[in-house]
Amino acid sequence: MAKPVSQTTHVVIRNDIADLAALRTAMENVGAEHGMPEESLFKLQIVLDEMVSNVIKYAWPEAGVHEIEIRIAVRDGSVEVEIVDDGRMFDPRDAPRRDKPLARQRLQPGGLGVQITKQLIDRIDYARIGNRNHTTLTKHCVLQRTASVRE
Amino acid sequence: MSKTALRMEDSHAGPVCVLSISGRIDSGNAADLLDRLNELISSGEKTILIDFKEVLYLTSAAFRVLLVATDEAEQKAARVVLCGLLGQVRELFEMGGLLEAFTIHGSREDALARL
Repeated sequence: MAKPVSQTTHVVIRNDIADLAALRTAMENVGAEHGMPEESLFKLQIVLDEMVSNVIKYAWPEAGVHEIEIRIAVRDGSVEVEIVDDGRMFDPRDAPRRDKPLARQRLQPGGLGVQITKQLIDRIDYARIGNRNHTTLTKHCVLQRTASVRE
Repeated sequence: MSKTALRMEDSHAGPVCVLSISGRIDSGNAADLLDRLNELISSGEKTILIDFKEVLYLTSAAFRVLLVATDEAEQKAARVVLCGLLGQVRELFEMGGLLEAFTIHGSREDALARL
């Protein structure tokens, strides 16, 4: 039987870097509510910034205003972040890993953020459903408090 | 002000300009760091030591700024040097494969003794 979802926070932002502040605040609130250790919270803030800023910068070459949905689900012993966008298809699991130290001139768009994200989280899942990317990041962490089940 | 807000303070130790940073550096504020570094480079500083000791976390947006500023400094016969990379901040440099992309010293004192 699947573990019950303790609580899900749903955030919708526009494809504007300034909107990342609202996402950061939502993650901070989730961390505070569940007594998340600071190190885990900071790691989640980093991966949110990396992955959502990549979506903002690269998902829509034609520009225009778009929405990005983020669901933060706190389960027993882990935090799951799902990022949903209707931009061009991008599976972060396919992004190549750099093995050598990065030379300054070889920074590729998005590559560094994905590389760091993969090392900070425990699991990354991806699905293209309809015209949307669903990227799910899972991080195990010890939570001091578990919210009441709301299902 | 949020505990993680980016704060920057510069001071001088002889010919070295020390930029102390605290808080977080991410997509939302990395441009502020680049602006400050560009100001220091444009004002004629030749050695800028960035102290990361009080930085809580940083993202690849910070690395891009540091790479751009390092190149900009070199074009003006100046240099950007880093120190105070501790714990998770140092790990993030490692994860990005960036420890060899910069000149990095241990503590501020170590750095000033060598610059």
